[in-house]
Amino acid sequence: MKLSVRGLAASYDGIKALRGVDIDVGDAEMVALIGANGAGKSTLLNSLSGFVRQRSGEIRFEGQDIGRLDPHAISRRGLLHVPEGRQMLSDMTVLENLQVGVLARGNRTSAWDERKVFDLFPVLEERKDLAAATLSGGQQQMLAIGRALMGGPRLLLLDEPSLGLSPLITDQVFEVLETLNREGLAILLVEQNAQRALAATSRAYVMERGTIVAQGPSAELASNASVIEHYLGG
Amino acid sequence: MMSYYQAYQPIIDFFLLNLGFAYSQQVALRAGVFSVATAGFGALGAYASAILVTRMGISPALAIATATLVGTAVGFLLSVPLARLRGVFQAIATLAFVEVIVSFLYYAEGITGGAIGINNIPRMVSTPALLAAVAAVMYVTWAIGRSGVGRAFDALRQDETVAACLGVSIRNYHALAFVLSGAIGGLFGGLQSLYVFSIEPGQFGFGFMVAILTAIVLGGRGTLIGPVAGCAILALLPEIARPLAENRPLVNGVILIAVIIYLPQGVGDGLLLQWRNRRSARRARAIEEASRAVP
Repeated sequence: MKLSVRGLAASYDGIKALRGVDIDVGDAEMVALIGANGAGKSTLLNSLSGFVRQRSGEIRFEGQDIGRLDPHAISRRGLLHVPEGRQMLSDMTVLENLQVGVLARGNRTSAWDERKVFDLFPVLEERKDLAAATLSGGQQQMLAIGRALMGGPRLLLLDEPSLGLSPLITDQVFEVLETLNREGLAILLVEQNAQRALAATSRAYVMERGTIVAQGPSAELASNASVIEHYLGG
Repeated sequence: MMSYYQAYQPIIDFFLLNLGFAYSQQVALRAGVFSVATAGFGALGAYASAILVTRMGISPALAIATATLVGTAVGFLLSVPLARLRGVFQAIATLAFVEVIVSFLYYAEGITGGAIGINNIPRMVSTPALLAAVAAVMYVTWAIGRSGVGRAFDALRQDETVAACLGVSIRNYHALAFVLSGAIGGLFGGLQSLYVFSIEPGQFGFGFMVAILTAIVLGGRGTLIGPVAGCAILALLPEIARPLAENRPLVNGVILIAVIIYLPQGVGDGLLLQWRNRRSARRARAIEEASRAVP
């Protein structure tokens, strides 16, 4: 098991955002986490990557308890979080952003380098000497994923990768995620675009008011009447 | 030519001394640490080397090395309590640190000579030594800029959350920035006291702190050229504005405000960034046109 979370509770600004969440991500699994705005999806990712400090319960990553580690130490173990809104280091060039990504590798070795990222996202190679701020939204999302890949991820957490992207670009991003998963990378994907997320993943969790209310194979959830009504625009 | 050089030598020497302090200030700001502790590091380095040379007859090289070590150690110690502070709170805490150092220098008369300071320091540092020290500090700054440390500093300054996501330890890199700032500050404090004949606490107070900070605001906090540009402006300005006599601070102020408004990254960084962005935009346009040409 790549990631195993039991009874995770967390508060954000004094508000209880997570009330006992249990989730698992298998070794080469791509799992979706869907739910309405404010359900606690982002808080869950921020708790896993160590940014939400007030958390209780158990978080095991590759069998080891990471619940007490600082964010940078969690990143260095290969649990890499691509936060919502892409978060470019906008003064830096595309290439420099990728080079910063290497820092997360720590002492681990990784097969990822600029060449492989550019093969995955050719549009970034054309723009490698441009300031990250000049990229379009889709290109920035690609750069954010590429930067995380440079750190040699063992589990990738993605927060709303389709946010603000055109359907065409969203397709491109999801295609890459599915390719990465086929090559063996475990991915936990948080998405508002439930339809897209369920189509791309094998298993999914539905979150509501800080707890998991439904789970199962993505195809089954996609045909579940209540999920359709609430999240797929029935 | 030679007499020309001699006439301007003091200006060049002071430019080099200020440049060293400016790099001490810059390395902190580059990592997103709002420290103004450089004045304190400089004061400790200056007194350390002055006391070692005048009272203990220690060689100038060893005294300056000790000054550097004192700065390094104090930089590290200071980083421990300040690790939890950010932004303006960090600035206020380091300002307090400088005030504590200056007060200590006034009151510990037995060690520091109090308000009179230390006045019998032989001049043991000349232009070549200052040039060598500046070159060494510039080399270190350049090497940091090209290494993972520089990328970690730049990432931290722009966005701490992203930096942590990328495996950058905020605490460790902030501590490293304090240590580097302390080492450079101590080194140039040591050089200064063996250059100026006499030191007293007042010269390391608020005015000194503002002057060094101004050099970085004017020049820029991210590039190697930033402090050079800032210190050059500060060194030349009083000479150019000499006819204005007592209105010179006014000219300083006007220029500072103009730079903040029109080149908020500083003259050095700002012009470099503008050049890079223009090149970027040109290449982006070329890429767009090339991709449009393909049907």
